Amino acid sequence: MSAKKVTVRMKVNGKDYVREVEPRYLMADFLRHELQLTGTHIGCEHGVCGACTVLINGKTGRSCLQFAAALDGAEITTVEGIAGDGPLHPVQEAFHDAHALQCGYCTPGFLMTTIEFLKTNPEPDRDEIQQALTNNMCRCTGYVNIIDAVEDAAKRLREGAREA
Amino acid sequence: MKAIEDFTLIGKTVLRREDSYLMRGKAQFLDDLPEPKGLIHIAFVLSPYARADILSVDASAAKALPGVIDVLTGKDLAGDIKTFAPVIEIDGYHDVRRPVVAIDRVNFVGEYVAVILAESPYAAQDALDLVDIDYDPLPSVAGIKAALSPDAPVLHDHLGDNLIFRTAFETEDFDARFAEGDVVLEEEFQLGRVTGVMIEPRGCMAWPDPIATNMTLWTPTQIPHIVRTAIADHLDIPESVLRVVTPAVGGGFGTKAHVYPDELIVVALARRYGRAVKWVQDRREDLLTNAHAREHILKLRVAVANDGEIRAAHLDVRTNCGAYPNHPYSPTLEATAAVRMMPGPYRIRNYKYDVCSVTTNTAPTGAYRGTGQPSAFLAIEGMMDRIGRRLGLDPADVRRRNVIQPEEFPYVNVVGVRYDTGSYSQSLERGLEMVGYDAFRAAQPKDRLVDGKYRGIGICNYTEVSGTGAPGWRVRGFAKMPGFDSSRVVVEPDGKITVYVSQADAGQGHYTTFAQIAADRLGVSWEDVMVVEGDTAKTPYGTGTFASRGSVVGGGTVIRCSDKVGVKIRRIAGYMLNADPERLVLKDGRVIDPEDADRSLSLREVAETAYSMNNLGLPQGEEHGLEATDYYDPPMVTMANGTHVVQVAVDPEDGRVEIERYAVVHDCGRVINPKIVEGQVHGATVQGIGEALMEEIVYDDEGQHLNANLLDYLIPTAMDVPNLELSHIETPSIDTVGGIKGAAEGGLTGAVPAIANAVSDALSGLGVNITRVPLRPAYVFEQIRQARAERESSEQ
Repeated sequence: MSAKKVTVRMKVNGKDYVREVEPRYLMADFLRHELQLTGTHIGCEHGVCGACTVLINGKTGRSCLQFAAALDGAEITTVEGIAGDGPLHPVQEAFHDAHALQCGYCTPGFLMTTIEFLKTNPEPDRDEIQQALTNNMCRCTGYVNIIDAVEDAAKRLREGAREA
Repeated sequence: MKAIEDFTLIGKTVLRREDSYLMRGKAQFLDDLPEPKGLIHIAFVLSPYARADILSVDASAAKALPGVIDVLTGKDLAGDIKTFAPVIEIDGYHDVRRPVVAIDRVNFVGEYVAVILAESPYAAQDALDLVDIDYDPLPSVAGIKAALSPDAPVLHDHLGDNLIFRTAFETEDFDARFAEGDVVLEEEFQLGRVTGVMIEPRGCMAWPDPIATNMTLWTPTQIPHIVRTAIADHLDIPESVLRVVTPAVGGGFGTKAHVYPDELIVVALARRYGRAVKWVQDRREDLLTNAHAREHILKLRVAVANDGEIRAAHLDVRTNCGAYPNHPYSPTLEATAAVRMMPGPYRIRNYKYDVCSVTTNTAPTGAYRGTGQPSAFLAIEGMMDRIGRRLGLDPADVRRRNVIQPEEFPYVNVVGVRYDTGSYSQSLERGLEMVGYDAFRAAQPKDRLVDGKYRGIGICNYTEVSGTGAPGWRVRGFAKMPGFDSSRVVVEPDGKITVYVSQADAGQGHYTTFAQIAADRLGVSWEDVMVVEGDTAKTPYGTGTFASRGSVVGGGTVIRCSDKVGVKIRRIAGYMLNADPERLVLKDGRVIDPEDADRSLSLREVAETAYSMNNLGLPQGEEHGLEATDYYDPPMVTMANGTHVVQVAVDPEDGRVEIERYAVVHDCGRVINPKIVEGQVHGATVQGIGEALMEEIVYDDEGQHLNANLLDYLIPTAMDVPNLELSHIETPSIDTVGGIKGAAEGGLTGAVPAIANAVSDALSGLGVNITRVPLRPAYVFEQIRQARAERESSEQ
């Protein structure tokens, strides 16, 4: 069943990679096992829970539902690319301050969703935040502090933008 | 020694140190761990039948696939792993053992039938479809009532029927006391089958160490020590050669507080092949095979005086064990919890219960957040409302009539559980006040119809079992459940502190809160305290993190152990300062003599003496090192409590339930870290909303599992969360170390009955009787439709 491997070129977190993979190799597996970027998690493998969410050419996508080969040439951001080892991103800071994570398994997906969402909607109300977060499931927090964190992150980003 | 009131860190919100590595994607969950060389990936062939004889297994095509190492059946593993069962010592329980991979017969959809061993996970998955198994399907049984019917197929021949557990209890002259009530009410309540749905599914990896002839099992479990004991027992190996380590754990909720067949299998295979073996579950396997919970039928009969006082109560609980008892609890866990917790915050002195658990061709059931308590309170709190309706009393007044008053503490309830302290009455009143209960009731029309929706209000006033100690487990028959937890607190030679705890964090924030506790006791900054847990090789033995025991038992042992070390610190410092150790104070990382501020030592200076790293030497009789070990066995149980009051609107057009107001009052005794407690309350409450309104594993009558995916098994999303109004009461325990009570489950226990009661109240004008959860729109809509149809036909 294993087919001839294909070449995949991708820019992930600003770094160029070339790998040979099976055509059916999942993007999530590619990130996690080929590139050792294990911050992207797999929670359901059927596109519901959102733990595997990454940015694909700037837009959120489920890495468990896509083949790495189909994303040849794409630019990807994973959770490791948000802040690296440097100071936390304002969205991460807001999550920390609001206690918006417990086990943290779903958190990378929530961070990616939030970062994209706040770019498209820098001043969301709570309803809009709740709607935006339905792409991601969390079983620990009850979402309350995540919603607070996203609201706070929006504020931080707006203030940061004004300062900059 | 400083009193707990003098604490500077306990009770303060400290932001979690865990967050940074979790948010940077650096945490190592099971499938994130570096993979050892020569790793074997395994996958399980799952039974598609609820009950069938296995006639033959032909794995030749699978074995021929490139990358496949071997395919093993239950027979192949039988010599390596004994039949699997918990150790339960209670009258009325019948032992049922299972092969970890089925031999000859399968008993539920998802049961393991064969194991594929392959060089990659993809090859293992490819091979699954190539194993040709010839089954002979047999008649099966899925539900409780079906299992109890006289002509039901019997799952385990040696039982003679499908009853695996049965027990009963009654107080003296129960029937006579029951007859003294003015009215008798009876209702049957039901809860759907649910499960934890941790966002990280399970998995495990066994890693042999050829040099040490040891074996390490990495598994995201809540009970590492119990896993080690179970594996050693069933594989017949010494516990000393097995190390169980938890990586980062992506949620537990009780579902990960079991020992599972796969944990035994990976260790056995790693021993057989001398290679590391790894298994990672997918979501379908999670929903098919991980421990399910609830599916309870509770019949509650009460005798009540005309003023609303409950004179006597009889609870009959039936639970579904699934095909086999889970390890280590068996079905007695939820069954005995439900009947023992039902009296709750109320003064019920005449009580009788009957419990039974049946085996069926469904996945084994076990622990899940709340354990028996959502069921118990669905029954008793549902009954409080019914008493009110029957006697024309406000349901809040019925509760007031029965609730244990502040002056009655400590109170020993009818099954012998001691409530040392509590705020049962205050909590109820505060909850009612928060939602404006009296005003709502005053304005509520008889038909409950306001602006096109039926609006109602529901209450749940509950107790919450936490921190169960050895006597609490023994009384329920759990022989291999120690009850205690332990810690080892070490002041290292550099004066920094390491705390080893026998527990296993699954997101609760132990690395922060246990550091807070030790830092507070030893007068250092919490950043200077590292916490190690989830590793049987590094920590002393203990029970683990489940059943709201982390703060009570883990926190308690860290307090005690830190104090033991504190005594030695002061003793050595007293010798160095030539001062009375009793008067020395640990503060700001130093040992200070309050009578002479100039005379103080850093913790490092004391540690250097203890570790013989200076020329001082130790006083006569003093041992080297600066550490202590403690084993803390808490009381039988410690009762936290709380109240949920919920206001809902039910849309008659589609049966949807909208939560309009939600008040939570919560009392978990001494709070260690308020923000973390708040997170536990939020999380549990929203899981309760899920259990009340949407979650249910559905089996058809033949035992086929119909919704093993997250599109069909619904858990709450951010859209389902109401505005939760929280209020805390802090009533410290007088029985536990530090006054701590547990906080993790009450949210769920309060939510399920409160929401059910609110919907019930909303639809009471229509004559709808809500007796079950989940209250999914289709079900609610159908109840409304039928009630309206009946009304119309009676009006014609």
